[in-house]
Amino acid sequence: MRRDAFHTVHPAVDLAFFLFVMLITAFVLHPAVTGISLAAALTYAICLKGRKTLRLCLTFVLPVVVIVAVFNPLFNHAGTTVLFYMKNGNAVTMEAVLYGAVSACMFAALILWCSCLTAVMTSDKYVYLFGRAIPTLSLVFSMVLRFVPRLFARIKLVSEAQKSVAPSFGKSPIKAASHGLSVLSATVTWALESAVTVSDSMHSRGYGLPGRTSFPLFRFDRRDAVLGISMLVCFALSAAAMATGHIRFRFYPSVKYSPADALSLIGYAAFLILCITPLLLNIWERASLARALGSGSFSKKTADGG
Amino acid sequence: MASYSVKDLTFTYPNGASPALDSVSFDAAEGEFLLVIGRSGCGKSTLLRHLKTVLAPHGERTGDVLFSGAPLSSVGEREQAARIGFVFQHPDDQIVTDKVWHELAFGLESLGTDREVMRLRVAEMASYFGIEELFDRSVAELSGGQKQLLNLASVMALNPDVLILDEPTSQLDPIAAFDFLSTVKRLNTELGITVILSEHRLEEAMPFADRVIVMEGGRIEVCGGPREAALKLYETSSPMFRAMPTAARIGCALGMTAPLPLTVNEGRAALRALGLEKKLLPAAEAPRHAETPAVEAKGLFFRYEKDGCDVLKGLDIKLYPGEIYGLVGGNGAGKSTLLSVLSGVSVPYRGKLYINGERKKAAFGAFEERVSMLHQDPRTLFSADTVADDLKKAAYGRGGGNEDERISEAVRLMDIEDLLGRHPYDLSGGEQQRAAIAKVLLTEPRVLLLDEPTKGMDASIKEVFGRKLLELKKAGLAILLVSHDIEFCAEYADRAGFMFDGAIASENTAREFFCENTFYTTAANRTARDVYRNALLTGEVIGLARKEG
Amino acid sequence: MPEKRDDRRRRIRIIVTVLVAAAAAPAAIFLGVSVWNDRRFYLVSLIIMLLSAVPFVLRFERKKLRPRELVVLAAMIAIGVAGRAAFYMLPQFKPIIAVAIITGIAFGADSGFIAGAMIAFVSNFMFVQGPWTPWQMEALGLTGLLGGLFFHRKNAAPPKTVPLVIFGVLSVLLVYGPIVDTSTLLTTYSDVTWELAGKVFAAGVPFNLINAAATAIFLLLLAKPLLKKLNRVQVKYGLLE
Repeated sequence: MRRDAFHTVHPAVDLAFFLFVMLITAFVLHPAVTGISLAAALTYAICLKGRKTLRLCLTFVLPVVVIVAVFNPLFNHAGTTVLFYMKNGNAVTMEAVLYGAVSACMFAALILWCSCLTAVMTSDKYVYLFGRAIPTLSLVFSMVLRFVPRLFARIKLVSEAQKSVAPSFGKSPIKAASHGLSVLSATVTWALESAVTVSDSMHSRGYGLPGRTSFPLFRFDRRDAVLGISMLVCFALSAAAMATGHIRFRFYPSVKYSPADALSLIGYAAFLILCITPLLLNIWERASLARALGSGSFSKKTADGG
Repeated sequence: MASYSVKDLTFTYPNGASPALDSVSFDAAEGEFLLVIGRSGCGKSTLLRHLKTVLAPHGERTGDVLFSGAPLSSVGEREQAARIGFVFQHPDDQIVTDKVWHELAFGLESLGTDREVMRLRVAEMASYFGIEELFDRSVAELSGGQKQLLNLASVMALNPDVLILDEPTSQLDPIAAFDFLSTVKRLNTELGITVILSEHRLEEAMPFADRVIVMEGGRIEVCGGPREAALKLYETSSPMFRAMPTAARIGCALGMTAPLPLTVNEGRAALRALGLEKKLLPAAEAPRHAETPAVEAKGLFFRYEKDGCDVLKGLDIKLYPGEIYGLVGGNGAGKSTLLSVLSGVSVPYRGKLYINGERKKAAFGAFEERVSMLHQDPRTLFSADTVADDLKKAAYGRGGGNEDERISEAVRLMDIEDLLGRHPYDLSGGEQQRAAIAKVLLTEPRVLLLDEPTKGMDASIKEVFGRKLLELKKAGLAILLVSHDIEFCAEYADRAGFMFDGAIASENTAREFFCENTFYTTAANRTARDVYRNALLTGEVIGLARKEG
Repeated sequence: MPEKRDDRRRRIRIIVTVLVAAAAAPAAIFLGVSVWNDRRFYLVSLIIMLLSAVPFVLRFERKKLRPRELVVLAAMIAIGVAGRAAFYMLPQFKPIIAVAIITGIAFGADSGFIAGAMIAFVSNFMFVQGPWTPWQMEALGLTGLLGGLFFHRKNAAPPKTVPLVIFGVLSVLLVYGPIVDTSTLLTTYSDVTWELAGKVFAAGVPFNLINAAATAIFLLLLAKPLLKKLNRVQVKYGLLE
């Protein structure tokens, strides 16, 4: 993953961002809102993961979008503007086409936000955020994450080791399956046995005593406060505009949308700013880094010399 | 005041016929470095576990354990968790969480430490143990040595008075093991922490110890300073004497007892003082080989990824039937990769590989080619619920009709009659190793590839294992022994090679090979090389010196 | 027979929890209909799922499992996650539901729910996270819960194979499949009509059948040995004391 400034903010701010953005994206079906969200999600995902995002888009998002967009008008015949009639006599309406397209975009935006969420919210952040509220579950989460790579390594090891004592299975699927099962069985036995040793080490370090605390891996600083408040304000403004009907889009029976007025413009702007908060933060950090490194050449030299 | 005071501790496991601990009494003074040694199964682990209530096994117990003057059972769980640190044997099996920082903080979290204090302690530990740059990493990325240091650091974060370590280096390579033990010694001298350590690596650990407790059959056989303990073991001709540091063994045998040497350096000085005459052992006759090697590799090149680096770079090696080839070398030299190529798992992209004279171009079935590879963790081979079932599986896999006969032959050879009905995971490490080899033998291999087979074995089990290897060699197997255990290679290998940077850097008969090396040679050779250039084993040095006297 | 009574009491408590969660549903629907017009089904279903998970999470936290049970539970979850990844090349043919059910049988309904939900969460966390994650968590959690509810008995022999396999198939066809199909419907289509719902559910049938077959096969292959291994560890290390 590339360097991302948003990754370094407090996990609560990270999580709040994704919660706000995804809530609005998932519950407001509006061409402009969905469009803003999709564009911001795509940009951020590309910033975060570059080529991987493109691969995700081409192999998964795009096909799903096409299916959803095409599926809707074929099975939903509401709407008044008929484009043409199908062979079975059902109408394909302009409203249904539009509706399908916007739904598909919303789905794409959600998937892309989720892929950003996976990249930004590392396991540490979940463990940190939920360590106090649900300590046992977040410990189990951490233990599972520790176990899974060990299991994979073990499966590979056992599978290679057993090649020496069992005929190779060639192309027979039954033999391959029986080899697989015996590898799995050996791995599971090992996993359960070594799990018990882990519990000794937990017990020895006082696990289970009352009054457990959690390590403060992150600090909530001024920047986090500023970000948090600005995000909250943006969310509140756009949600208010949406809830009061200033941003609303009706598809059926005929397309009808709220006219642009001052409050709706504020709502759009607030949502846009909310969506591009990570991007803005990255730009701001780049700029201040460039300034600091550019003007700090003297101090850098002396530091190297000393 | 004594840190620990154990009085007449006797303990029997629920199904045990005889006590696992038999009236054990000793004191550990504050700030003392106490080394507990003994053969596998002598009760070391059981004793150490009794020093912390939550780890004490279930069973019948009499006698007292006092901690700082108070009965251990009256010391609360919270206090014990903080003041008594315990490090276990397997580096991997005691790490709870997935991230280094979380593991360091785990104990502090359990004790409910205040956040600011926690920050400070964790930061201090990370920098003292030199794992700052690993702080944000996943535990999975760490090496075995780093993992064990992490375990030590996360115990030290609780600021304990006593550190108890149960064979902490048995799974590490020699360099990581020495680093680890040195760190423990440093904690002992710099912070005055009481250390109670059980170890098989006595060459390194003995010089660190203030006092040594030798256990045998659940009793304390000898207790005293390391030099006195070694002398006493010599005088009583105890089997544990074989595990003593080389210099001490040579010293005892040659009567250099005032004071008894413990390290190679002291041993060299003592030998110099004897003013011995330089001598050479007769060179072994050149080994006679069969015509075709069982395995032959010519100019192998291998890499794991298309754009990766070559791990094998033009490697040549020949293994003949009826010989043991010892391969040594540092971590990352490509030894495990070589094993995976020779056992048909990985395919080289250049070079030629012959198994019994037949060219292999693709991945091949190790079973069909009768090449058997034994991983350093013998548990990877077991898949049934009893040893007997596992053996049957292997024997019937090969077929041939005389399965039961072959099973009883393998069982006799590896001495595992008593283990047949047991679950493979209930066996000790040495027993598992023997059961695994029996299983491998039932597939009637012609080539045996062994990866670190002596890891975690004590001296006497190693000796049994070595004798078994010699029998297999006599039966005509080609055996490749990849090991960090130089003493073992020197004793049992016919030829030896040094692997470096993806190729065999040098190769010779075992004796010539090791006595040419400066670091990669036995402690006996390092001790006596000025006078007996090509003596490799302690027995050889003693023999040469005695002839003179 | 205090143990049996304990067992029954626990089961009753779980059933009550489920009923309370179900009673919360109409309230949520009312909220959804009256407050929000667009996407109300999506909102409502999310609220229901959240509400139904809360009691299990709270009880799991309060129960204070001992480290040994906790670690073995984590190992089972990891086995589920790894199993899902190991069969990545066969769509829908995964052992996860079988593992969730087995965990429920071994540890009880509460832990079964937690294990199922956790398997779904962690495997989504490690592979592809999507809007479907909460539904998968709920669906897998419920199968684990039902496994525990039907088959978990303290110190009893493992369940018979035939009822277990039938249960596995039914739990996929009646619980897991419908929930996941609903998620497909709700996350992709906002304006739910009966016709559309029919199409989506019909499209899900082959997937659910494969899934049910996989679950049956894996239960057949894994249930006995896994429960035996778990039992061995429990006896060897005194987990049952």
